[in-house]
Parts: sequence; C-alpha cells; structure tokens
Amino acid sequence: MSGVVVVLERVPGGIASVCGEAAGAARALAGGGPVVGLLVGPGDSTAATELAVDKVLTADGPEFEHPSTAQLGALAAAAADAAPATTILFPGTARGRDGVGRTAIRWGASAATSVTEVTRDESGSLHVRRPVFGGRATEELELPGPRHVLSLKPHAFPLPPARSPPASSEPLAIPDSPKSSRPVEVTGFTPTAGGKGPELGDASIVVSGGRGLRSPENFGLVEELAESLGAAVGASRAVTDAGWRPGSYQVGQTGRAVSPQLYIALGISGAIQHIVGMVSSRVIVAVNSDPHAPIFQVADYGIVGDALQIVPALTREVRKARGL
Amino acid sequence: MEIAVLVKPVPDAETRLRPDASGQELDPEGVKWVAAGYDESAIEQALLLRESAPGTTVRAFSYGPIARAEEVLRSAIALGCDAATSVEAPPGTPPDGLAVARALGLAVARHPASLVLCGKQAGDDESGIVGPAVAELLGLPDFGVAVNVRWEGGIERLSIQRSVEGGLEGVRVTLPALVSLQQAWNDPRTAKLPNILKSRKAPIERIPVADVAAAIAPSASLLARRVAFRLPPPRTGAKMIEYSSPDDAAQKLVRILREEAKVFP
Ligand SMILES: Cc1cc2nc3c(=O)[nH]c(=O)nc-3n(C[C@H](O)[C@H](O)[C@H](O)COP(=O)(O)OP(=O)(O)OC[C@H]3O[C@@H](n4cnc5c(N)ncnc54)[C@H](O)[C@@H]3O)c2cc1C
Repeated sequence: MSGVVVVLERVPGGIASVCGEAAGAARALAGGGPVVGLLVGPGDSTAATELAVDKVLTADGPEFEHPSTAQLGALAAAAADAAPATTILFPGTARGRDGVGRTAIRWGASAATSVTEVTRDESGSLHVRRPVFGGRATEELELPGPRHVLSLKPHAFPLPPARSPPASSEPLAIPDSPKSSRPVEVTGFTPTAGGKGPELGDASIVVSGGRGLRSPENFGLVEELAESLGAAVGASRAVTDAGWRPGSYQVGQTGRAVSPQLYIALGISGAIQHIVGMVSSRVIVAVNSDPHAPIFQVADYGIVGDALQIVPALTREVRKARGL
Repeated sequence: MEIAVLVKPVPDAETRLRPDASGQELDPEGVKWVAAGYDESAIEQALLLRESAPGTTVRAFSYGPIARAEEVLRSAIALGCDAATSVEAPPGTPPDGLAVARALGLAVARHPASLVLCGKQAGDDESGIVGPAVAELLGLPDFGVAVNVRWEGGIERLSIQRSVEGGLEGVRVTLPALVSLQQAWNDPRTAKLPNILKSRKAPIERIPVADVAAAIAPSASLLARRVAFRLPPPRTGAKMIEYSSPDDAAQKLVRILREEAKVFP
C-alpha cells in the first residue's frame, strides 16, 4: 500500500484537466492505498470531489488564494503525511510543476517531471519514462523509494470518468508555514490576446497555421477549423514574427512545446525549430501545397493541396460530423 | 546588489542525438556544449537589470564536468557577466536535478545574492527541478515562467510577468528571491569578438569537488538513475491522402481521424 496525493490546481470554473488525469494515474500507483486530492485556495470544492479520488483535503484559507511554491510544498507534504501517502503528484501546469523540485528537497523524496509512463516495482522504486530534447528522445529513470514527487506530462494519461457519488472532503490540518511561505503577490492578469477556446499547452487538439495561409485575414480559416474541433490555435514563427498573431501563439523551440492527441499543421513547412515543439504529439496531420515539405516526414497523415481550399472544406465536414 | 545566474551546459541544437554504447546516455562524441536557451534568457535578464541598477554585479554559476561548465561560463563572461564560479560534478554522480541543486546551492551560498535567476528548464532533460530546489535549499521564494522582469521603484522589489495557462500573470516580488525565465521571444544579445577573446583568459572560481560531493550527500540515496536513453522509432513519413476535390479530402480525413487514428472529438 502506497497512497498518493494529487495536488489540484484551480482554474476558472473548475480544476485543471491534467489533475483529473493525475488522479487516474494515481490509482494504478497507489496499489490499494488511498488516492487523496489536495485542493488549495478558497472556493467551491464540488469539481474536486468528482475526480477519481477517495477523499479531498482542502486548504481554503484566504492566504492560499495565490499559493507560492513553498506553500504548496508544505501543504503537499502535510497532506501526504495525513493520507498517508508515499507519492505526491503535482499538476504539469506552468505553476504546478515548480512544486516538484522544492517538495522533493523538503520532504526527502526522489523527483521527476513530465512523466509519460510510470510503474512501481517490488522494492518500491518507481520506473518512469519521460521525453527529453523536445520529444526527440526519451529517457527511462529508476527513482529510488520510498518517497517520490512527480509531475505528469499533460495528456499522457487518460482522463477517468467523473466519480459518483462525489468523494468526501475535509480540511487539512495546516502545518506551520516556513518563512519563505508568503503567498504570491499577484498584481494583475492579462488573458492571452484573442485566445478563444482551450489553452495551447492544455489542449488535446491543436490546429496551427503557417506562412502558407498567405495573410492575417486567411489565418482566420485556421481559427474556424480550431473552433469546430474545440481545439487550441497555434502558429509558426513566420506568422508571429509577421505580426499576424501574437507571440503567445508560437509553437516550437522558442515558443511553446505542445503534445496534444492531434496536431494539425496547415501551411507550415516543418523547420526543425517548429518540429521540436510538436513532434511528441500523438497524431500529426499536415496540409501543404509542396509534396516535398519536410513536415510530411514527421506527419502521420498528409494532404498535398492548397490550404485555402482544403481548410474551409475540412471545417464544413467537421461541423457536419459533430452535428454543429 | 548581487545577482546570481545559473547556467547549464547542454548539447547545442544541431547535435545529432544517439545513445552511447551503454544505451543509457546520449553519446557525447563530437557534441558542442552551450548554455541552455532559457539560461541565456536569464543571463540577458540579469544584464538588463544591472544596466538600470548601477553597482550591481552579476555572477554566473555552472555545474557539470569542469570543461563543459567553464566553456559556458566563458560565454557568459563574454556576454557581460562580471564573475563566474564553476561547480565540478563529482565523477559518477547521476544526472539528477536534486544533485545539481545541492551543488549549486552550496556555491551560491558562498556568494550571497539578492536575486537568483535561471531558465525554467534546460533544453536537454527539460526537468525544471533545479531552480525551485535551489530556492528551497537557500530559503528563498521562487517564481517560475517569468517572461518580463523589471525593477519596481528601487532595487528591493521586482515586477514580473509570468506566462501561465490562459495568459500573463503580473506578480510583485520582494527580494531576496529566485526567478526562473521562460523568455520565448526576446532575442538575447550575442557576444562581441573582443569580449570573446578576453573571456578566454578571465579567472573562474572553482568550488573544490570534495565540497561539492559533501553538499550532494544528503540526497545521494534519492538520485534518479538513468537506465535508458532512446530515440523514438523513426517516423516513416506521412500516409498521403489521395482525393478528387477539397470536399473529398475533408471527408476522407475526418473518417481516418475518427475510425483509424481515433482522435476525432
Ligand atoms: C533560433 C531560431 C529559433 C526559431 N524558433 C522557431 C519556433 O519556435 N517556431 C517556429 O515555428 N519557427 C521557429 N524558427 C523559424 C523556423 O526556422 C522557420 O523559419 C519557420 O518555422 C517557418 O514558418 P512557416 O513554416 O510558417 O513558413 P515557411 O517556411 O515559409 O513555410 C510555408 C509553407 O507553406 C506552404 N504553402 C505555401 N502556400 C500554401 C498554400 N496555399 N497551401 C498550403 N501550403 C502552402 C509552403 O509549401 C511552405 O512549406 C526559428 C528559427 C531560428 C533561427
């Protein structure tokens, strides 16, 4: 028996979807031990109790509205002692992942981030696989036990169905905070410009466009297809450098690295700097007018043709297939 | 005002990746070691902060086999860092972020800094463990994924923007603190030739390897052991969809995504 604590991150309207995936992965790791969610910050806990966890511990004081990594680490270690658990899973989000190194030092555990596979052996060591070099290679690590702190790569693990009835929730006994544990002093938030639909790093489908779209107006075709699929919108650097869309859309070496279930590249040549940001996607589709475009080397399915004609047809077909 | 910058040597972007004979590590044959991309952003950020806070010194720290560490430290000096400290990896230490953090934590503690900057992760193992672990060891708060860092009314506080899910979060940071950078679209400066030549002879402080080993010891039994380094099976190229019209192409693709690839929403 080796319980698992899953740290849950609040997002507007619920819990980050990667936390649900982590709850599912935790079940297999717990080997019959408890899977306990740790919900930090004030607010409603309904969404947390519907995840695949046995119990939710809450730390809902106002001082946890914008928790620092140090606060998260202290709370996670306290939750693990209460559960009891030998593994802590942090969400693979921008803020959540920073909890891993800090908590491993504090709690005396081994650590790994962006894990795509994990198993436990009889000795209590974890064996993990994770992508390195932007998905161009993978490494397998043996993490000695008994304690482990991990984050999982988004979308590497299936999302289990919501649980019913919901799990019980109770307040966590809050440990004395260390001196470095002031909350984060947040001064503002600027939503990603023009970003409708899911967030690039968190989306299970990403539709990206490149210079092959020919103009900022035509880039709207990419966004329409993305909307029909419920996908996030990405772009090559040619597009963001030209100012067709903001830099936050950029996928690649100097932009965001994404690994969705489905990546659709429209009018993107497939330069290595773009490839390293999307090559670990599960299924890749490319539309390009040049049959020799390098993107077809990494794609699973290719269509040679004019994106300006193929993309609107595809949007129509997707809408039809999804009954939209 | 002292700023510490943590810089990791990583294989440069052109490296042809392949496993070594053991199958456990990247084959280091012919690899050129350079500062990790986000760490370059951290250097750039440190130099920009120094420009607007006269009297500030920037010291770069690097951990690794000594030749690699000193190579990237010389490039940091060529870019404008004032001083550098190399932290030699004890031979045989597994490449684990907790070991790196303990070693760098020791070195930074010997040159106390109000601000520690590093990249959010390095382009080789992409772990992102070292920064927050160093912060824990030094008793500092840490702030990740910063894309913009400015002084706020003096040198006691910074105002930073962090690239988080859904947008940019503005945060006020009271020093001392550790900030990790994810500067994606600011091109760092390049070194000028005379400075590159001068950096060849610049002094680099070395932390004795015995001290480093002693600092790592508390985590020794926890370090991850790499058992395999693998390349993915080569992608064999796309299955090309033949079609008679755009509508036909669209229908075929949707059918494939739904029935064969099973990724249709
Ligand atoms: C240090 C460095 C970092 C970089 N970082 C990144 C990064 O993070 N992300 C990134 O994306 N790039 C990055 N780049 C740039 C990269 O090298 C490429 O220049 C860029 O990805 C090209 O974008 P593109 O494919 O949209 O444009 P192009 O290379 O111009 O390709 C356009 C493609 O569209 C096709 N096309 C044209 N018309 C049509 C049509 N009507 N229908 C269909 N297809 C059409 C063409 O055949 C071509 O393949 C970086 C470069 C450097 C040097």
